[in-house]
Amino acid sequence: MNTIRNYLDNMFLGLPDTEEVIRAKKELLTMMEDKYNELKDSGKAENEAIGIVISEFGNLDELAETLGIKHAVENKSDILQVTYEEAENYIEDKVKTAPKTALGVLLLIMSPVLLLLLLGLKELTKVNAKEELFIAAGLAVLIAMVAMAVSYFIRFSSKMEKYNYLEETVFELDYKTEQMIRGIMAQDEHSYKSAVSISVAGYILSALPVILTPLIFDIDGFSVISVAVTLTIVAILTYNLISKSAVNEACTVLLQQGEYSVKNKSNKTLQTVTKVYWLVITAIYLAYSFITFNWAISWIIWPVAGVIFAAIQAIAEQRS
Amino acid sequence: MISSDVIRGYIDTMILYLLLNEPSYGYEISKRIRELTDEKYIIKETTLYSAFKRMEINGHIESFSGSETYGKPRTYYKITEAGKMYYKEKCKEWEITKEVIEKFIIREWM
Repeated sequence: MNTIRNYLDNMFLGLPDTEEVIRAKKELLTMMEDKYNELKDSGKAENEAIGIVISEFGNLDELAETLGIKHAVENKSDILQVTYEEAENYIEDKVKTAPKTALGVLLLIMSPVLLLLLLGLKELTKVNAKEELFIAAGLAVLIAMVAMAVSYFIRFSSKMEKYNYLEETVFELDYKTEQMIRGIMAQDEHSYKSAVSISVAGYILSALPVILTPLIFDIDGFSVISVAVTLTIVAILTYNLISKSAVNEACTVLLQQGEYSVKNKSNKTLQTVTKVYWLVITAIYLAYSFITFNWAISWIIWPVAGVIFAAIQAIAEQRS
Repeated sequence: MISSDVIRGYIDTMILYLLLNEPSYGYEISKRIRELTDEKYIIKETTLYSAFKRMEINGHIESFSGSETYGKPRTYYKITEAGKMYYKEKCKEWEITKEVIEKFIIREWM
């Protein structure tokens, strides 16, 4: 019964407390309670009874004119309303595109792997071939993989572009939609949390090859190859994490939690800083890697940038 | 599936019909509409309440409070003389509406 009362409270939220409005609310509640009691008496389960009552309630717009609250009802909808279908479509599209985005990220992370392997092998075998040949082959593959990844991103980001407003602007959900999203999120929670914990554990372990190899073998070639191994592990973990967190991510956006909270959305500076920050990091990574050719080291910028970003975000949130 | 556009013009008629013999209250009216139409039309609470308000303003019904089995006060509605007149008019109007629309319906296609 409380659910019905909450539902009605929600619907009437923000309407003026005129005598007419209070009477209407009381009358509607009586009708809903009568219906609920009879459904319960006829043997319906609590949830089912509540569901029927809420689905047959109707729409406040209908009452607007008779209650003289037309103005208030219209003003209420000044805030963007996201419908049930929109929310459903968003989650669905997000789940569909996640593996593709994940594949793009996998390609990006793996792109220097062949180059590293070739450089390492050359060091080990002391082949007499020209070093330039190895580098050229490795670079060709690197660039091809980056190009593939970028084409993936462009294709799928343009597909998801129509949902940008969900991430950027403040909106409202009706009660039914919010319940649906919370349900989906709860159902996904187990799989999401285990994916996160597997990835975190994996990320920590992935550093092992890089740390241990120089201790065991005192040969440069092995160290370079160990970076390739680490990158491969990181790539696979990231692929898994991105594809498994799609549902959770979509629900977080729709429920306007965390990064997408109403507070953060109104903070335009943070949005701009985020965009600029990652572009600058990418530029530094590419410039440093190509100039020094230190691919074995340069990837460290990503975990470091991630931690620094979290710090910036925390500071920005406190300021606002 | 029933079109709410068509039915909207006759919600008052349905409510007046149910009030012809005795006063009634919100949920009972919505329940009787559901039963009489074999659940083909289920009236929404907001639709019903806005109809009550409209009809009260038009003077077709009057409200008064009475108590029910659960003991809490409940708003009852009764039909007025003007309401009865209006009901009769609407019945005639429907006869004509029905005749007009019928001209455009091909029975064999149903």
